Amino acid sequence: MEGFLINVLNGLSWGMLLFLISMGLTTVFGVMGVLNFAHGSLFMLGAYISMQLTRWISSFWLGLIFAPIIVAILAIIIERFLLRPVYGRDVSFQLLLTFGVMLFLDDGVRLIWGPAHHLVNPPDVLSGVFPVFDQTYPVYRLFLIAMGPAIGIILWAFFSYSRYGKIIRAAAMDREMAEIIGVRAPILFTAVFAFGAWLAGLGGALAAPHQSVGPAIGEHIIIESFIVVVIGGMGSFPGAFVGALILGLLGSFGATMAPNFQMALPYILLAIVLLTRPRGIFGEES
Amino acid sequence: MKKVWSILVTLAFLAFSIGASAVMAADGPVKLGFVYIMSGPFATYGQFAKQGAELAIEEINKAGGINGKKIEAFFEDSAGKPDVGIRVIRKLVYENGVDAVIGLDSSGVASAVAPIMKELKTPLIITHAATPDVTGKNCNRYTFRISLNENQNMKMAAAIAADMKAKTWTTIGPDYSFGHQSWEYFEKYLKEKKPEMGFLPVSEVAFAPMKTTDFSAYITKVMNSKADGVLVSLWGGNLIDFVRQASDMGFFDGKREVLLTLGAATEVLYALKDKMPEGIWVGTRYWFAGNDSPENKSFVDAYKAKYDTYPSYNAHGAYAAIKAFAAAASKAKSSDKEKVVDALTGLSITLPVGKVTIRPEDHQAITDGIWGKTAADPAYPIRVLKPVKNFTGAEITPPVAETGCKME
Repeated sequence: MEGFLINVLNGLSWGMLLFLISMGLTTVFGVMGVLNFAHGSLFMLGAYISMQLTRWISSFWLGLIFAPIIVAILAIIIERFLLRPVYGRDVSFQLLLTFGVMLFLDDGVRLIWGPAHHLVNPPDVLSGVFPVFDQTYPVYRLFLIAMGPAIGIILWAFFSYSRYGKIIRAAAMDREMAEIIGVRAPILFTAVFAFGAWLAGLGGALAAPHQSVGPAIGEHIIIESFIVVVIGGMGSFPGAFVGALILGLLGSFGATMAPNFQMALPYILLAIVLLTRPRGIFGEES
Repeated sequence: MKKVWSILVTLAFLAFSIGASAVMAADGPVKLGFVYIMSGPFATYGQFAKQGAELAIEEINKAGGINGKKIEAFFEDSAGKPDVGIRVIRKLVYENGVDAVIGLDSSGVASAVAPIMKELKTPLIITHAATPDVTGKNCNRYTFRISLNENQNMKMAAAIAADMKAKTWTTIGPDYSFGHQSWEYFEKYLKEKKPEMGFLPVSEVAFAPMKTTDFSAYITKVMNSKADGVLVSLWGGNLIDFVRQASDMGFFDGKREVLLTLGAATEVLYALKDKMPEGIWVGTRYWFAGNDSPENKSFVDAYKAKYDTYPSYNAHGAYAAIKAFAAAASKAKSSDKEKVVDALTGLSITLPVGKVTIRPEDHQAITDGIWGKTAADPAYPIRVLKPVKNFTGAEITPPVAETGCKME
């Protein structure tokens, strides 16, 4: 029983981190049709920048606020000067471009911060542990579990009720029609791309105290977040949430109960979903 | 008068030809290729190895080089992947024309690369990868290892475990040959010492993929098992993440005995600093404060002065391999590959770690080993080992018959 509860907590905390990253990925894809390979690098950059800020100003919270913003500003530059010229072209141009950006950012990070691993301490208020049965559990993981739904609900409300959220959804559905009725799509695209990057940066900043900040911090999570997006349905928020939860729990229970298959589990799930619902659990079948 | 002239001409000719031959000898440098992990979660190991290599090369070149030739170094990134390892070694041999290859961190890469050396006819000195196979069933004329291998390390782990309170053991390791083999050998050697010791079956132990950054599921699995002893063979970035998350989850609460088989890597200790718990048994291939020999003192002092950190076992491995190559090449009076291979076979050399002999039958280094308990010391920025437990090479190295090596 106690193993069960802790496994649920383990799965949720990883799942919520996964959710934040998948949300950015799925929004950028849903609105812009761009599959952003550099998303994992933006996540990594968020972690490194928050680590650096935390060192300079010794405040985790300021790092958490500013690191995603810095990542978003970088994303604006990437969108404006690199991505925009290839919108009209074949989709493979976008893929190659974001792949190139990924390599560039990864090596840039290595150049600046070197190969060493850095630790970020959670803020005092979250650094404690609390007892669960006869062991302890870090408070920071609970914070992660709470952050996922909180940010998810804020964004869901933004997209459902606010004017700008509605405009973004309209542009996602039919870009040409949106432009005809006066939506300025280029600026909207820049904003959406920056927003996706902000989410990736936020995920990175939140991940920093949870794992060490090192050169491969984004490798594992980005692969899983691609799976989440496909399972949940490209462009779907609830899909990203459910997909992230499933993958998180699959990871924690898989490691315990099916150790020989744990690496294959997400891919088996992916194959099943693609065969039965090719557009994902929450994707709209055309 | 004529005689004097002829003598002078002869002398001039002699002087010229000696000079010319000296120039010819110094002409081509000795080329050494290095293959380490320079990217990804284990990249600090490559960084330390490179520093160790550069220090050794600087020392040797300053002292006149090997047989009068300077060393030229080529560094390549294996990325910890077997296919990349094979590719870069072929490049080093065919394109750069190296006289020897030094390095290898991952056992996966080492197992893939060792058989290739036969075809490349180039000496390979492994400095970190620990799989017993490359000096065991896959041994060959060209492959050597200057560092401790897994059997040797697990012999030490088993000796320490035998004196602990734990009755049942489990493991957390990386999910590839190294993690699985560490567990196998640990079980084998500990059972030899204490047949009554219990071990969890493979389905109940924890092996985490190398890309894992969240170890909570594995930590929970081990904490909820009935084992009271845990062999942790994670290393590099994995070990850093593990130690940190395990501390938060109460893993090091004293209810279980813990052995970190590669915990005394300074790469890991520098990253964790005071987050490394005290009083935990950790293994290593070399410890910078392990002995007071002049060789060790000069190595540690020079390294500290140059890089402002204490050398790790990987830095020592690269340094040691170059010193061993230099000793072999000067014994052979040549850097010809076949002659160096002959000279490396059975070579004995005093290195910072102590006296090392490369066993002729399987090319594995017989070298002393060290484990220690982590302790805080205000004189050091990292956890140090106090007390340490030394093992002689003879007591921890399995006999050749056990290795399965048949040298052709």
